[in-house]
Amino acid sequence: MSVTPKPAGGVGMDMTAMGLAILLMLAIIGVAWYMFGLSLIFYALIAIIIGGALIGFGVHFVPVGGAPAAMGQAPGIATGVAMLAGGAGLAGLFGGAWAADLGIVVACAGGAIGGALMMAITCMFVNVIYVYGMGIPSASGKAKVDPLTGDTQTEYKSQGTEGHGLPFISFVGGIVGGFLGGLGGTLIYYVLLKWVYVEKLAHALGAGPLANVTPIAISLAGIFAIGLFLVNAVLAAYNITGTIEGPHDPKFARWPRAVVATAVASAVCGIVAIAIVAV
Amino acid sequence: MTVKIEVIAGGIPHDQLMIAGLVGSLVCIYLTYLNAMTNSFVFSFFGGLGAVCALIWGSNTIKVLCSYGIGTGVPSAGMLALGSGVIAMLLATRYGIWAPIMAVVLAAIIGAILGYLANNVLMMKIPVMIRSITEMAVIGALSLMGFSAMAAGSFDFAAISTGTQTFLGMTVTSYGNSYMGLTIIAVSFFLAAIAIQHPFNATLGPSWKQDRMLWLAGECGFLSMITVAVMSLAFLSLNAALVSLGISIILWAYTYSQYITLSKRDAASWLDSKPIVEPEGH
Amino acid sequence: MVENIVLGIGLTAMAGALATVAGAAEDTESDIGSQGDPNSQVQLAPQMGYVHRIFNKAIAGEPPAYGLWVALGAGITGALLAMGVNAILALIIGTVLTTLVQGVYATTAYLGRIASLAKFGQPVYIDILKSMTTVTMAHAFVAIFTTVAMCYLMNAALGHPFPLALLGVVWGIALGAAGSATGNPYYGKERQYQNQKFGAGVPVAASGNIVRYAEAGERNSLDNGWFTSKLGGPASGICFGLIVFLELWRTVLFEPFLHGWGAIIVGFIIVLVFTIMDRYIEVWARRTYGPYVKEAAA
Repeated sequence: MSVTPKPAGGVGMDMTAMGLAILLMLAIIGVAWYMFGLSLIFYALIAIIIGGALIGFGVHFVPVGGAPAAMGQAPGIATGVAMLAGGAGLAGLFGGAWAADLGIVVACAGGAIGGALMMAITCMFVNVIYVYGMGIPSASGKAKVDPLTGDTQTEYKSQGTEGHGLPFISFVGGIVGGFLGGLGGTLIYYVLLKWVYVEKLAHALGAGPLANVTPIAISLAGIFAIGLFLVNAVLAAYNITGTIEGPHDPKFARWPRAVVATAVASAVCGIVAIAIVAV
Repeated sequence: MTVKIEVIAGGIPHDQLMIAGLVGSLVCIYLTYLNAMTNSFVFSFFGGLGAVCALIWGSNTIKVLCSYGIGTGVPSAGMLALGSGVIAMLLATRYGIWAPIMAVVLAAIIGAILGYLANNVLMMKIPVMIRSITEMAVIGALSLMGFSAMAAGSFDFAAISTGTQTFLGMTVTSYGNSYMGLTIIAVSFFLAAIAIQHPFNATLGPSWKQDRMLWLAGECGFLSMITVAVMSLAFLSLNAALVSLGISIILWAYTYSQYITLSKRDAASWLDSKPIVEPEGH
Repeated sequence: MVENIVLGIGLTAMAGALATVAGAAEDTESDIGSQGDPNSQVQLAPQMGYVHRIFNKAIAGEPPAYGLWVALGAGITGALLAMGVNAILALIIGTVLTTLVQGVYATTAYLGRIASLAKFGQPVYIDILKSMTTVTMAHAFVAIFTTVAMCYLMNAALGHPFPLALLGVVWGIALGAAGSATGNPYYGKERQYQNQKFGAGVPVAASGNIVRYAEAGERNSLDNGWFTSKLGGPASGICFGLIVFLELWRTVLFEPFLHGWGAIIVGFIIVLVFTIMDRYIEVWARRTYGPYVKEAAA
């Protein structure tokens, strides 16, 4: 039996499944409300859900072409979508974690800008290689006209390909994707660190009042942020079945499924992350 | 043009591998409890053996999942396994002696939910999706717990969070110098993530053979054990780390040589410094 | 945070320089081993009847693989540092062990993939295994060492709260992503398919027909690495170097202003600058190259 790897993701939405999933998320929020009241810990769970949904939504903006892009056969970046989004989000998390002592708004904004910065530089260099190194202009395969600049695309597509490089809409999509990914990842890290672990970790470890448990708190928050980021990015990658040109791609319309899935996944993982110290 | 993956029947059935992996992993991880009973660290290497059992099981799970063509490739499955596994494993360490069993239960719940989300909300509609993702979450949690037990001496939350530091000649407990404090768990995370997906990813092709893949899974696991043994130098006694290192190196060398022998058996030809052999008709 | 701003800027520049070298070495290493998305062509070629002597290093993609190498290097370094070992020695030991692990993974990947292509008559070339593995390990050593050293500077000298291993994960994945994004098309289109028309993508019909006989007889991965190290490698290096340098520079220099908003505003401006540069490049290409025209019948 020979099975060809094909995009198995179907189009359309299974409303029963989505409804059940949302119900599960609401149940988890309810349990948290019952156990912790309207405290910082409860708000941390809400923030984790929002952060996860942002990551899932942001991944849809990142232009990824996969193996065909490496041969100039498809537009986008020639890397796996989950790991490219992961790279941008984690670079953002680096910046956001550094600013964690300056408050939630500054930290999350810093993380978002960090992610956007990494994607901006990477996308620009992709175009540098295509244009100056290979002599290939950027052209989209899914749009006749670039929605942002009005440039026509079809005549700049070489024969036998689906397009190549990063047209401006894909470039902007990459930046937005990095922005949202960095924002979501830093948000998850910040609330876990400052609202949950710094408060409760000393008690959970049985440590005295003078003990410095901050390294453990940072490590726990960091590894959870990375783990949650990867889970959400992979779920979003499953949603777009591997390659997407950016926000103008018809596949982009699938984003509601991913937002629901990542929000529920983040709720499940978030309550477990909180339960480590708070139960 | 995409690469064809052919599903070849035969080999050890997946259910057998699953039970062997699950039981073997749990038994080996529990054997690290001998550390607490003998008040030494010498039995830490059993944690690594437990992780290897889980990884061998995991390589076949990935093969079952990816044979249905999920469209985004093999490495993401490894990341999903470990991402969900690390969360389950860290909560499970709070439960003392019950930690490994709790890890399996929690990871199974998380994995089942993630599988349901991927299959029904994201409409992947693959028959084995929910079961495979559940298995992978359990494998992720067990392999992480195994490596953590091997590095820190025990799978208990207190053990992985406290280390020692020499201060003015005295050794004091320090949270910063522990397995969690130095985030060595991130290294175990990636060691397991690559080791889970490498066996299937490296042996996939039209002439895939299960025994070659399983030997490679063992080899990747023992290679990871070697590195964890080196890192355990910081947390365990020198004797314990050397025992772990010695066992890991011997087992790695054995599985690696077996893998090379099997590759020689399966390859079309084994040439040294010969030109390209064009097939007929080209 | 660094009190002495001059020291901070110096460290930032050093980290940026290390990152540049890391990016160049990473891309060259992945091109000599043929890793990542272009590797699908190396896998496909024998199935289309094109037997080759290219190394087939199928170890996931570059971001997860480099996430592992750098995290492992940083983890071993961190563990040794916690034991009180000298920093430089810890770095070297960590990098050497990681490079050995990387080498073993490379050999098992090549043997596994090629043995699974036995049906199409693709032989396992032992001399390719022996020659390429050591070269790719050497480049990997440079990439891992510089990245872990950069992470060490960030943790120990610039005062980032993350422990070494966590920084290793972050920057390993970022290194792999940046290097893979920049270097893969250059290796895939320009070198693997050097026989196709310049200035156009590879048509779908030509899939699998990679270059196997070239300037110096039968092409192997060292020839590919030689080529990509001229442009793909340095471009990846500058890309990753700029990412690290600008990220650190905007924080170290501007964070004290406006309670941290200074760094964010500067970051936003830098993103705008790169957007303008990219738009200029795109328009230049359209105007200079012009659209594709059908060749007039001869």
